[in-house]
Amino acid sequence: MVFQLLANGFVGGCLYAILAVSFGLIYNTTRTLHIAHGGTYTAGAYLCYLFLVQCDTPLWAAAGLAVLLSAVLGMGMELIIYAPLARRGGSPLVAFLSSLGLYVAIVNIVALFFGNETKVLRPGIEKAYHFGSVILTSTQLAQILVALVLLPAFVFFLRMTIWGKVILAVRDSQELASVIGINVQYTRIGVFALGSGMAGLAAVLAALNIGMDPQAGMPALLTAAVALIVGGVGTFEGPILGGFLLGLLQSLMVWKFSARWTDTMTFLVLILVLIFRPSGIAGRRLRVEENEA
Amino acid sequence: MRYLCHVLVMINIYAVLASSLNLAAGYAGLLSLCHAAFYGLGAYATTLLIMKVGLGFIPALVLAMLLAATLSLVIAVPSLRLRGDYFVLATLGFQVIVFSILYNWTGLTRGPFGITKIPAPRVFGLEVIGIFPYFLFSGALALASLGAIWLLVNSPFGRLLRAVRDDEVAALALGKNAPRVKTTAFAISAAFAAVPGALFAGYVRYIDPTSFMLAEAIFVLSIVVIGGAGNFLGPVAGAVLLVVLPEALRFLHIPDSVAANLRQITYGLLLVILMRLRPKGLLGNYEFD
Repeated sequence: MVFQLLANGFVGGCLYAILAVSFGLIYNTTRTLHIAHGGTYTAGAYLCYLFLVQCDTPLWAAAGLAVLLSAVLGMGMELIIYAPLARRGGSPLVAFLSSLGLYVAIVNIVALFFGNETKVLRPGIEKAYHFGSVILTSTQLAQILVALVLLPAFVFFLRMTIWGKVILAVRDSQELASVIGINVQYTRIGVFALGSGMAGLAAVLAALNIGMDPQAGMPALLTAAVALIVGGVGTFEGPILGGFLLGLLQSLMVWKFSARWTDTMTFLVLILVLIFRPSGIAGRRLRVEENEA
Repeated sequence: MRYLCHVLVMINIYAVLASSLNLAAGYAGLLSLCHAAFYGLGAYATTLLIMKVGLGFIPALVLAMLLAATLSLVIAVPSLRLRGDYFVLATLGFQVIVFSILYNWTGLTRGPFGITKIPAPRVFGLEVIGIFPYFLFSGALALASLGAIWLLVNSPFGRLLRAVRDDEVAALALGKNAPRVKTTAFAISAAFAAVPGALFAGYVRYIDPTSFMLAEAIFVLSIVVIGGAGNFLGPVAGAVLLVVLPEALRFLHIPDSVAANLRQITYGLLLVILMRLRPKGLLGNYEFD
């Protein structure tokens, strides 16, 4: 029982970690509170549904197309909405309000085409694998596998490649980065593409596991935001830690109390972290003058 | 005529709700995503006090306002030290927690089944029954609330609020207690958000938690931002626009299932377009920063 719960928490944590990393990548680099990321998540799941169920494409191609188009959607939002606001020197809160509008519009456009009810990608019962007392479905195994490949690859990309260093530079200061010849605009577009693609991937995995509905984007986004803050805003690896921690906590919550109170617990954690350690677990303590706005 | 009265009642409700949020968001610069929670608290607290304790409408409403103001401190006191983004996220968390409590505390709120057979409000021995009397009643309460908010924002306190919003450091340097000013404004804003809750419960005579979800909080914030934050008439104009605009869909004979989605797409896109072209909103004179 305990092992099964830990396994469930780990599987949930894999998903949250991917989501939190994707949200954190965008938030840390562009300073945009990108609520519409939840819209990308919803769109990703439904794009996969469109190709897989309605167009009969094989799963790998449907998932690939969904990830690709999610990335394009994220890039589009940056190009059409956020970039002009940033050029005008608008405040981050104006970008946040646009993002809120975008989220509402995207989710309802999806609902308009596909309906408001829950949909599943693959009907029927999945193959289950036994590991001692722990049972995992094939989708859950895929989820673990993807996270174990993707997350280390992401850390490697960030720390070891020149593009990763460019992203770190832009995170530290967009002005200084542009002074040394980094094209901040291209970096922002790239970050939106990468982050949105990862959100699309997480959405597809979640849809395979538990199905989808248009409103699923918001809880996913909120969990990602909480994982980011718990892990440490400004860091790129912190959200991984935060994601796994939330996954385990939620699983234990189901065990000790009831599944109904998981949302309450998630946000209680958020509020406690905000009060006692706003910099998060892995966060750097910033000096006052570093703390912009 | 009945239909017109219904639309006017809804405008009254949303005008007060948006004006209460404007006090926090527009005048104090505190972007809150939890006003649907205070709205819901107002609806539930008033209803339960009337039905279970047997209070009259006005005493129940006053107690509900006090409750909303007290609970607002839970979120405001710890998060006002934080930067704009974090405050938004903390209020968002509060919104989700309150919804979850309304939904899961079935012993008190009957959870997803909602509370049915809410009696019509009783004021000064008169029972407000029928749609036209309810329009007058909600109008009177709305005018009283808006009047109180008007007095507040045009008082020295209102001036102080705008000073803290525009330059907190300068206000601190002048010896003003900026955190306390913001907390007070947020509490008053929460108290006034409880008024439309009570009006809504007395009007529909049935409440369930889904009327007070995050989507509603986003909708109210959109009214304020589209109408114009920091302007007294902005939220009123926003409420008229965003309540009347979707009613136009009704005359185009669009089925109800689609109409709800179209309504939300409309205000979502309106928000995006306005932020691009006129971030101050239609009547506003304050741009968030």
